[in-house]
Amino acid sequence: MTDESKENLTEEWKPKIIAFLCNWCSYAGADLAGVSRIQYPPNIRVVRVPCTGRINPFFIVKSLAYGWDGILVSGCHPGDCHYISGNYVARRRFAILRDLMIFLGIEPERLNFTWVSAAEGERFAKVVRKTVENVKSVGPNKIFNKEW
Amino acid sequence: MVRKIIDDIEKSIRETAKKLLEEGKVDLIIGYTKGSIPLRSGPCFITDASKTDMLVWNQSCDLNLAKYLAKNDDRKIGIISKGCVGRAIVHLIVEKQLNRENITIIGIPCEGVLNRAKIMVEIGDKEIIEADIEDDKIIIKGKDFNKTLPLQDYINQLCITCHYKIPPISDIILGNKKPEKPLKDDFKDLNEIESKSSKDKIEYFKKELNRCIRCYACREACPMCYCTLCFIDQNKPVWFGKTADISDNFIFHMIRAFHVAGRCVSCGACSSVCPMGIDLNFITRKLEKIVKERFDFESGISLEVLPPMGTHKFDDKQEFMIEED
Amino acid sequence: MVQKMISKEKISDLIKELQKEFKVFGPVKEEGVVLFKEITDAKEICLDYSNSKIPAKSVLFPMIDTLFSYKKEEKGVKIIENPPYEKTVILGIRPCDSMGFSLFKIFFSFGKYKDPLILNRLENITLIGMGCLEPRTTCFCTSVNGGPFNKESVDVLITEFKDNYYLESSTDKGEALIKKIKSLTDADKGDLAKIEKLQKDIESAIPVIKGLDSIHTKLDGLFDNPMWQLDAQGCLGCGACTYLCPTCHCFDVLDENKQDGSGRRIRIWDTCQFPLFTLETSGHNPRTTKLPRVRQRIYHKFNYYPKNYNIIGCVGCGRCIINCPVGSDIRNIFMSVENSSSKTEG
Repeated sequence: MTDESKENLTEEWKPKIIAFLCNWCSYAGADLAGVSRIQYPPNIRVVRVPCTGRINPFFIVKSLAYGWDGILVSGCHPGDCHYISGNYVARRRFAILRDLMIFLGIEPERLNFTWVSAAEGERFAKVVRKTVENVKSVGPNKIFNKEW
Repeated sequence: MVRKIIDDIEKSIRETAKKLLEEGKVDLIIGYTKGSIPLRSGPCFITDASKTDMLVWNQSCDLNLAKYLAKNDDRKIGIISKGCVGRAIVHLIVEKQLNRENITIIGIPCEGVLNRAKIMVEIGDKEIIEADIEDDKIIIKGKDFNKTLPLQDYINQLCITCHYKIPPISDIILGNKKPEKPLKDDFKDLNEIESKSSKDKIEYFKKELNRCIRCYACREACPMCYCTLCFIDQNKPVWFGKTADISDNFIFHMIRAFHVAGRCVSCGACSSVCPMGIDLNFITRKLEKIVKERFDFESGISLEVLPPMGTHKFDDKQEFMIEED
Repeated sequence: MVQKMISKEKISDLIKELQKEFKVFGPVKEEGVVLFKEITDAKEICLDYSNSKIPAKSVLFPMIDTLFSYKKEEKGVKIIENPPYEKTVILGIRPCDSMGFSLFKIFFSFGKYKDPLILNRLENITLIGMGCLEPRTTCFCTSVNGGPFNKESVDVLITEFKDNYYLESSTDKGEALIKKIKSLTDADKGDLAKIEKLQKDIESAIPVIKGLDSIHTKLDGLFDNPMWQLDAQGCLGCGACTYLCPTCHCFDVLDENKQDGSGRRIRIWDTCQFPLFTLETSGHNPRTTKLPRVRQRIYHKFNYYPKNYNIIGCVGCGRCIINCPVGSDIRNIFMSVENSSSKTEG
C-alpha cells in the first residue's frame, strides 16, 4: 500500500471523485493500471463513456450538484481519438465550461481534465493521485447545498 | 446633440419603413414601439404603410428583435437593426436558422440603451410617471419627486464596451455612422469579480440569482435560445430541477450561459427583460471574454467564420490539463 | 367594527406584540425590490411602499410548497405530514393582493375536491391590510370590484394619516386581534371623518375602465377573433405576468428524491404561458403556439372565472403591465375586446 492510500484510511474525509473515462484509451489505461497492480487512491468512481465527446456538460454540473467532490475527465491524446475528433470537441467544451464555472465561483481544483492512453497505466495512477490531491486541497463540495 | 441624432434616426426609420412597405419590397417591418409605461419599449409589427408612425427609436429600445425572426417564416421581413440585432441575425444565418434572402436589414447606429434595473434601484419602489432623455441626462418625474440622473451612469454595461454600434451587415443604413475600427477590449470591468475568491464569487452570484422566479424571460428574450425544447423543460428524463431553489436557479443560469457561449452577441436583452432586475450582464461579458481569449472569436461579425463550438483545432490551448510532474 | 390608532413611531411595538403570538410577514426592501418576507427584526419592515414585486400570495402559496415528505422503510413507505401551520399575520398587504387571497379561497374550495393545505393556511392567516395612498397609474382595482381601501378581504385595514396609523377591523377575527393589542389606543374621532374623505378622494381618482363587469359575455364571441394574433405576436412567452399575478394559482406537482430513499412531494408555480403546461402524456399539446396561451390568460380571468365562480379573476394591481418585458398592456386588450365586440354586434 502506498503512503497516500494509507493516509486516506486514517483521514476522516474521503473525497468522492467521479471519473468519466473514454472507452478506447483512458478506460483501458485504468484497466492496465489495475492489471499491472499499480496502486492509486480509491476515491474515484469510474463512468465509462464511448468517447470524451459524449460527455454532456450536464454530467459534470449534475455530478457537482449531487455532491460529488471532484470531476475527472480523461480521453485519448490529441490525434488518437477513435472517432477522429471527439476529444477536440470535448477539450473545447471543457475549456469553456471550466472558465465559466471558475468565474461563477466553483474551485478549479474540482475540475480535472487529462489525456491517458491505453498504454499509460502508470500515468493513469499519477493522474488519479494528482486529482485526489487537488480535490483534497479544496475540501468537501458544499457549493450546491441542494437538500433534495 | 445626441437627442437630435436619435430623433433624426427615428424619423428616417419611419420614412424607410413606409417606403419599403409601399414599394412592396417587404411584407412586414419589425421595429420598436412605445411601451405602456415610461422607459419601456416593445416590439412592433407593421404591415400597413400608414401605420409606420408607431415606430420609435430611443434609449429604451433594449429588446433584441432578431428573436422575432423565425426559420420557417416565408414572408419578406424588414427589421430595424441596431448593432447587436444585426449581429444576432448574422450569427443565426451562420447557424442556418435564417434565410438571408428574406430579411432586409435596416441598420441604425446605436449609442447604447438604458439599464432600467439600475434606474429602478435608484428610484426605489416609487412609480415613474414620466421620463425624458436629454443629451446627457435622464429626467424622471414621479408623483412627488423629480430626479435628474446622468445618462452615462445608467447606460447598460454591455453597451459601454460594445464595439459594433451598427450591424456588421446591412441592406440599408440610416444615419451617417461609419463602421468603427474595434477598440481593443481589455475586459477591465470583470476584474472586480474575477479577483474575488471562489467563496466570495459564489456568494455574490447566489445572492443575485436568489431572486430568480424562473419565469424564463431571459431565455425567451435571447435570440440564441431557439431550441424547440430547452434542457430545463426536458422531462423524459428530468435533467435539472425546475424549482426556484437557489441551487436549481444557479444551475439553470450556468448551463444557459454555457449553451450560448460563442454565440452570445452581448445584446443584454436577458438582463433588461428580467422582471426581478437580476444582472446577467456579468455572465455575458465573461462569455465574450472566454471566446475572445481562447478562440479569438466574436459572434455575429462574419458570415464565413465558424463559431468556436462548431469547430476545433489540433493545438487548442489546454493549459488546464493535468501533466505528469 | 373597532377603530384604533397607533403612532407611526410605535409600529415596531405593534410588530413585537404580534410576534409573541404570530409569525409576522411584511414588506421588506431588498436591493430596491420589495418582497413579502418573515419579519424577524421589526426594523426591517418597509410600510412606505407602493406595492411588492411578488404579490403576498407567496406567503400563502410559496414558490416551493412541500405537500408531504416520505421515507422508504422496510415495509412500504412512511408518509410524513407537514408540521401544523403556525398562526400568521401578514402585515401591510395591499387590498388588491388580499382580494387575491379571497380568490384563492374560492378556487381551492370549489367543488368536490378541496385543498386542505391552502384552506388550513387561510384559516390561520390574519390579514392586516394597508390602504393604498398612492395608487400607481397602472392600477385599475376600482374597475374590478376592488378599491385602494377595500375592507372586504382583509381582517384589519390600516390607513396612514398624518403621523398615525388608523386601524379598522372588518371581520370578527380582526376585531378580536386588535382588541387584544395593548399598544393601540382608541382612534381620534375627529380624524376619522377626514380619513373617510381622503379614502374617497383617492378612490375616485383611479381611472375606471368601462365595461369590465360584462367582459365575460363579450369574450364569448371573440374566441377566434383576429385580435389575439395581434396581442400574441409580440409576446415572448415568459411567465412574468402570471408568476407576478396575485390571482394566478396554477402549479406543477413533482417528487424530489434523496439518495437515501427519502423524499418529498412538492408543488411549484407553473404557468399557462409555457408550452409544457398543456403537454399531455400522449405527446399531444392543445396549445402549441403563443396565441392560445395569451388568449388563455385573458379568458381564464375574465370569462371562465365569472362563469364558474361569479367573480372576475383579476384584482387590478397592474403588475402584469409593469413587469411585461415587451411592454404589453392588459388595458389595451380590454380596449380591443370592447372594439371587436362592438364590431361583431354592429
